[in-house]
Amino acid sequence: MNAIVDAGSFRDPAGRVFAAGEQIFRTVMPDVAHDYERFRDGGLMHDLIGKGLLVGASEAEAHGLGNLARGSAYVLEHPRVPFISYPYEWSFSLHKRAALHHLDVHLAALDAGFTLVDATAYNIQFDGTRPLFIDHLSFRDYREGEIWRGHRQFCMQFLNPLLLTAYLGLPANSWFRGSLEGIAPEELAPLLSWRHNLSWTVLTHVTAQAALHRRSLRAGAPSSSRTPTLPLTALRGMLEGLRRFIAKLEPKAARTVWGDYAGDNSYADAEAAAKRAFVGEMVAAVKPGLLFDIGCNSGDYSEAAFDAGARRIVGFDFDHGALEHAFRRFDGTATPFLPLWLDAANPSPAQGWAQSERKGLAERAKADALVALAFVHHIAIARNVPMDMVLDWLLAMAPMGVIEFPPKSDPMVQRLLAQREDIFPHYSEEAFLALLGARARIVRSQHLSENGRLLVWYDRSRSG
Amino acid sequence: MKDRCIWAGLGLLIVSLASPAYAYLDGATGSMLLQAAIGGFATAMVMGRSYLAKAKALFSRAPKKTDAQSRD
Repeated sequence: MNAIVDAGSFRDPAGRVFAAGEQIFRTVMPDVAHDYERFRDGGLMHDLIGKGLLVGASEAEAHGLGNLARGSAYVLEHPRVPFISYPYEWSFSLHKRAALHHLDVHLAALDAGFTLVDATAYNIQFDGTRPLFIDHLSFRDYREGEIWRGHRQFCMQFLNPLLLTAYLGLPANSWFRGSLEGIAPEELAPLLSWRHNLSWTVLTHVTAQAALHRRSLRAGAPSSSRTPTLPLTALRGMLEGLRRFIAKLEPKAARTVWGDYAGDNSYADAEAAAKRAFVGEMVAAVKPGLLFDIGCNSGDYSEAAFDAGARRIVGFDFDHGALEHAFRRFDGTATPFLPLWLDAANPSPAQGWAQSERKGLAERAKADALVALAFVHHIAIARNVPMDMVLDWLLAMAPMGVIEFPPKSDPMVQRLLAQREDIFPHYSEEAFLALLGARARIVRSQHLSENGRLLVWYDRSRSG
Repeated sequence: MKDRCIWAGLGLLIVSLASPAYAYLDGATGSMLLQAAIGGFATAMVMGRSYLAKAKALFSRAPKKTDAQSRD
């Protein structure tokens, strides 16, 4: 077995995470073995796993990891999370869900005499829209009076990004992606108005914290090592207060680029039905365990894919309003759909320490199939990416799928071209088919309507 | 709203803080100072909410679930 260290797991000396094929392992170092044993034997770990709040864990033999497990007290094996996503890829509702989940896990831990040593958003992953806490070594014995060590981190990685969207109408994704630790209170505070500070939560956790931070920097060197204390009642009060506050946050109403796209576009209903049937046919034949919906909009065609038997879908879109629609469509259903923000012309890079702490999209994006509907013209025309490069990028993510080609005469393409010079003489159906045909077998194609949109089902699994 | 009635209290508290006694220069200093400052407030708010819930329960036949109880 060839195990590889997860480059994102180095920060906590308590243990590391390893991938060995499809298996995921975690070492538990002797320093924290006692905390882990209490967490395991006291019932909290099994309770959280049983309720679906914490990813599963079973103790495994260390020998399979060879030297990688040397010195560890335990090795845990975890089920693989279907798709690793990062907070800077989450839609607002996913981020809010993650924040509430973190607080719920912390409150449950306090009930059982434990606390969380950190509050990193990277410890939350999703199965569809269902959040999962993934770090079993974040749980330590709670000591009466200890402060909330993860408080600043919680503010930077959960509260402040949510406030940016809820109060100022700005998506936090780009800022968060450029600042992997999140948004600091002293960065957010100057952007907020006095009205925002009428909220106790904002006044304390953002403005006061920022002021105290600045004040401490001005004060210079430490004058004492006295540690502040926080009674348990106060800690619970903070966590519950934040939970009540965050549960009410919604994105500030803003007109999005295509928030109403699915219901207000250039397609006739008959075309949409034909598209759903075509996607359904491919999905029924391929039976993908994981399907990518690139440019998922509000999830119409993901719904068709689920109906046809797709087990799991990750939907990507550039538009935050569309992602919110998609979240609401699938949340609470039995169909696991994960709505992620993606600028396809600039996907998440490999970044963080040594540029390997957080993986780039290409490294994580391996699906059984994909659908890319009403997508290629936005990249090929609006972003000037040559069609062969668009297809290479798409086909690298999944061996088979459906791609839609809208011709130049299509109203949506015309709308894109209306704002710019037509420098795309090679944007044609013939060229598209030739490029795709050179890369994959074309299983079936179908014109949708009078305006000539073309759906193509490709399969590169046998054509190399 | 209760939040809005007590914000001034915190403002006064911040203004009245003496020079920080534990001005570590790490990134969490502001967080630590804040927690030390609002610990008492947070406790008082929890107690206040608890009494308020009890008072409400006295005047209603079917007590309403609080947010804390209904968390999922």
